Amino acid sequence: MDKKTVTTISYLSRLKIDNDKEEKIINDLGNIIEFVDQLNEVDTTEITPLTNPLEKTAKTRKDIVTAKNLKKELLEVAPSANEDYFLVPRVVE
Amino acid sequence: MSWETVIGLEIHVQLSTKSKLFSGGSTEFGAESNTHVDLIDMGLPGVLPVANKEAFYKAIRFGLATGANINQTSSFDRKNYFYPDLPKGYQITQMTQPIVEKGSIKIAVDDYEKEINITRAHLEEDAGKSIHDMFEGETGVDLNRAGTPLLEIVSEPEISSAKEAVAYFKAIRQLVTFLDICDGNMAQGSMRCDVNVSIKKSDDKELGTRAELKNINSFKFIEKAINFEIDRQIRLIENGECVVQETRLYDSEKNETRSMRSKEEANDYRYFPCPDLLPVIISDKELKEIKENLPELPEEKEIRYINEIGLDESEAKIISSSKTMANMFEAASSKTDDAKLVAKWLVGDISALLNKDNIDIDESNLSAENFGILIERISDGTISGKIAKSVLEEVWETASDVDEIIQSKGLVQIQDESILEDIAKKVIESNPNQVSAYKAGKDKLFGFFVGQIMKETQGKANPKAVNEILKDLLQ
Repeated sequence: MDKKTVTTISYLSRLKIDNDKEEKIINDLGNIIEFVDQLNEVDTTEITPLTNPLEKTAKTRKDIVTAKNLKKELLEVAPSANEDYFLVPRVVE
Repeated sequence: MSWETVIGLEIHVQLSTKSKLFSGGSTEFGAESNTHVDLIDMGLPGVLPVANKEAFYKAIRFGLATGANINQTSSFDRKNYFYPDLPKGYQITQMTQPIVEKGSIKIAVDDYEKEINITRAHLEEDAGKSIHDMFEGETGVDLNRAGTPLLEIVSEPEISSAKEAVAYFKAIRQLVTFLDICDGNMAQGSMRCDVNVSIKKSDDKELGTRAELKNINSFKFIEKAINFEIDRQIRLIENGECVVQETRLYDSEKNETRSMRSKEEANDYRYFPCPDLLPVIISDKELKEIKENLPELPEEKEIRYINEIGLDESEAKIISSSKTMANMFEAASSKTDDAKLVAKWLVGDISALLNKDNIDIDESNLSAENFGILIERISDGTISGKIAKSVLEEVWETASDVDEIIQSKGLVQIQDESILEDIAKKVIESNPNQVSAYKAGKDKLFGFFVGQIMKETQGKANPKAVNEILKDLLQ
């Protein structure tokens, strides 16, 4: 685990890391990875990867529209919206 | 040393389900903004997505029609990235176990045919829409489209020219519309495509570095964007520079591709299995049922039209090339005994009008129903072929009802022989010179008399009846 990896991960996850905590986080994450890496000692070549720990299969839906028009309610709870759209800071130059 | 082009296409096909892939939100196009948004589409805490089985059935139809493997157990993964029109911060897609793998489709380019292999086709949800130009300093987000089911069809990099890419896209569009899994409406974004382009020297074994062209939604732009990109890459390499692996945006106004490097910086989607969704199982019984109910495909139609209805090969090809055209043919044929007459109109006058306006039959004013009525009126003798032509032209311009045009313009064919005989007598009386010339052996003048009668009746006289009456009178 190095500074560059942590900077990339923090950018990808949009989590800001304070400068004075950076070293500790690099160290902690390194320890976590090292701990989890023990799993690599097990030979899994013959084992199908598990997609879900529940050994069940999915219930599915019929193709029916059930949703109500929640426009007003949804726009109301948004941090920023006008009467028609959710509003966010401009994302293109 | 010549350059070889290597192209792979990723086509996003919007599946024509009524509800979304994981929620009961409606997929209707063109609705008022943010009115088709379910709590699941919003990605609110505590909600659980449940897969829409119909989307699987539609994907399987595509798989069966392309001779692909159907994975009867398929699962979902999360593709993580941040963008305002993706409320959850990840897209649910199928990375490791796609529903469809290893199919192929035949394409036709100019004078040759080619088989293009399809690597996979997987289900995923669409994002919402960002509106950048309506608000000062802000972007508006409409989530109506968020969660709409898409089938992403990924080709092998086996396409070798812009022309082949267009032919491949057209073949896929034809197939998905015939399968009734997508409306194929490009203007509404029901089909969009990303194109991977690279070039290499003919004897190079390894592929060159590729650029990805994003979100192109018309046949014309696919061809232009690829050709621009090929030229750009050749120029780069011949100047001793390198092609960078990146995403590029095609600007149709300037006809150029531009780097979208800012988006590329952090291209790490950190896929992992979606813990909210269990694997979806398709039973043997379901698979069998889908197989048995697969609609008739273009090639099968073509063969049936030739063998059972007796159309020419070229007619059968044109009519079976589009679903709308085939539907029109079949609907109109049921209203007459003369299916070849129907084919003649579709391949002749209607195709000519389509070419003139450079449009697809789906974009024309002529509905299958109206065309059926037109054919019915020709075969029951209400109007002549010549009048039908002008009726068709009017429908083409105004989309009016065929029967209404015939009524309001008084175009009903004159069949009544006594009326026609009176008119014929009048014509003969007023043209004594032509009559004596005709009787003296100038046979060609027969057409003159027919023309005069047509003029008197504004083209409404039944030509067959006119011929018989004239023959009698001029003996």
